[in-house]
Amino acid sequence: MSKITLENISYVYSPGTPFEMHALEGINLNIRENAITGLIGHTGSGKSTLVQLLNGLTRPTSGRVLLDGKDIWQEPKKIKQVRFRVGLVMQYPEYQLFEETVRADIAFGPKNMGLSAQEIAERVSEAALLTGLDESLLDHSPFDLSGGQKRRVAIAGVIAMRPEVLVLDEPAAGLDPRGRDTILNMLRDYQQKTGATVMIVSHSMEDMARFCDDIIVLAHGKLVMQGRGHEVFARSRELSDVGLNIPEISRLCLMLRERGIPMDDGIFTVEQAEQCLLRLLESREQRTEGYV
Amino acid sequence: MKSITLGQFYPSDSILHRLDPRMKVILAVLYIVATFLCKNVLSFALLLLSAIVLILISKIPMKLVLGGIKAILFIMAFTALINVFFTKGETPIVEWRFIHIYAEGLWQALFMIVRITVLIVGTSMLLTYTTTPIMLTDALEQLLAPLRVLHIPVHEFAMMMTIALRFIPTLVEETNKIMSAQKARGADFTSGSLISRAKALIPILIPLFVSAFRRADELATAMECRCYHGGAGRTRMTILHYSPKDFVALAVIVVFGAGIIVLNRLGIGYTM
Ligand SMILES: Nc1ncnc2c1ncn2[C@@H]1O[C@H](COP(=O)(O)OP(=O)(O)OP(=O)(O)O)[C@@H](O)[C@H]1O
Ligand SMILES: [Mg+2]
Repeated sequence: MSKITLENISYVYSPGTPFEMHALEGINLNIRENAITGLIGHTGSGKSTLVQLLNGLTRPTSGRVLLDGKDIWQEPKKIKQVRFRVGLVMQYPEYQLFEETVRADIAFGPKNMGLSAQEIAERVSEAALLTGLDESLLDHSPFDLSGGQKRRVAIAGVIAMRPEVLVLDEPAAGLDPRGRDTILNMLRDYQQKTGATVMIVSHSMEDMARFCDDIIVLAHGKLVMQGRGHEVFARSRELSDVGLNIPEISRLCLMLRERGIPMDDGIFTVEQAEQCLLRLLESREQRTEGYV
Repeated sequence: MKSITLGQFYPSDSILHRLDPRMKVILAVLYIVATFLCKNVLSFALLLLSAIVLILISKIPMKLVLGGIKAILFIMAFTALINVFFTKGETPIVEWRFIHIYAEGLWQALFMIVRITVLIVGTSMLLTYTTTPIMLTDALEQLLAPLRVLHIPVHEFAMMMTIALRFIPTLVEETNKIMSAQKARGADFTSGSLISRAKALIPILIPLFVSAFRRADELATAMECRCYHGGAGRTRMTILHYSPKDFVALAVIVVFGAGIIVLNRLGIGYTM
């Protein structure tokens, strides 16, 4: 079942000026409910532009955005409700923290929803728990935290609104491998616990291959591919044609195939490669035994 | 590329864009003097013609220029009315109770409108539309360099100006980003009472200031790391050179000024 559908979406920055920029052109796509969708594309391919359309921060130049089959711009006055339902964590969200304490900052979204003080407190604790923030941190100033902690506070601030769809623009950018894994693991746990629909934007094929169910590929403002992870990575040749770094292990398999070793198509984890190689070795042993 | 979207700069490859910015500042000053020299119908006609020629050779869409004039329509109307009603003359046109309108007043109003329009159009064609703000500060720094003798820190002022100009687009972009982020959390900047709207600015202003100070700090460190120590002995990366076309432009404007003086002498019609 598709949670969000984009119909023939185009987006133009500064139309009618010499700086006109067609950031998105003719995008049609479906975001599946209860799944993690990864959006990948090279720098400037229009990923951030696309995610800002999903919660109505910007209005498409043409085309429609459907949430549960309903056009989100049907009643522009009620766009705020859409923003509570589709939570967006922007790129480098740690620079948006402003309150005196972490607790107050996480409460900003729920407060704007007009919830009761008790409900807000509950949601703040829940969001802190989900994002792995220690209770003791909640009374610190957000400006005193480390980069990775700030990032979690910012994510918690959106999760506290309990959105049906959680969209994150490069949640792992600029973190070390451990920090990236923690954040991505946390998002997967979150998805499994809450059954929310999650969308993650990233440059990194490797991360996406490991953490996402579905993959959407953008290049130069156009949709190149969409489908289940293994379907998309099976087309690794096309991916490298549009300038995306396919996972290292996929590239290795591709090179092996070019040298005549019949590796399977669509390998994107080391485990898969291992099994494929073992299988190949076995069949080879059988063949050589046959000759003897 | 985004930094040049600041102000009115309109990228194009016209001859006006390619003139030396220092020469453009000089030309603009001379042009302003010329507009104030005009005294009669003939010289004002030449002035108006020159403004049209400037627009045409700058390759800037007429629509954009007219849009710029629209902004000062009120000032022009006000000036015109004052001139119509308060200029005393010898040829009355309307005399009714306390209202006296003279032909001279109408001429005066017309001349003032042309003068203001041409002032705006001329300076924007020569400077703001065709020169990036950074080029402009560069040009001013070099033109004002002699003031250093009077211990005026020309270089430091220019550097401050350049940095400010450079960071305005960055700050605008950052403001937009922060606003989007807070809107995504349900912040509302457009409805509610004045007080609640002012309060709604806090979630924007605090992160903006924090990042502005951080940026200033980083920039200062980066400049120090590259041994910046003020203007003394500093060489330039882009050295401005006058080329023949700059002197042709200067000659044209001098001839134009002379033309205006000659036309003033002809003494046709009302003279200011
Ligand atoms: N505010 C803006 N005004 C004009 N053009 C813009 C603006 N924001 C983005 N663009 C342009 O639109 C295109 C898409 O930008 P976008 O930020 O969506 O890319 P992205 O895929 O998110 O890139 P990155 O991976 O670097 O974050 C780029 O070419 C960019 O220069
Ligand atoms: Mg982006």
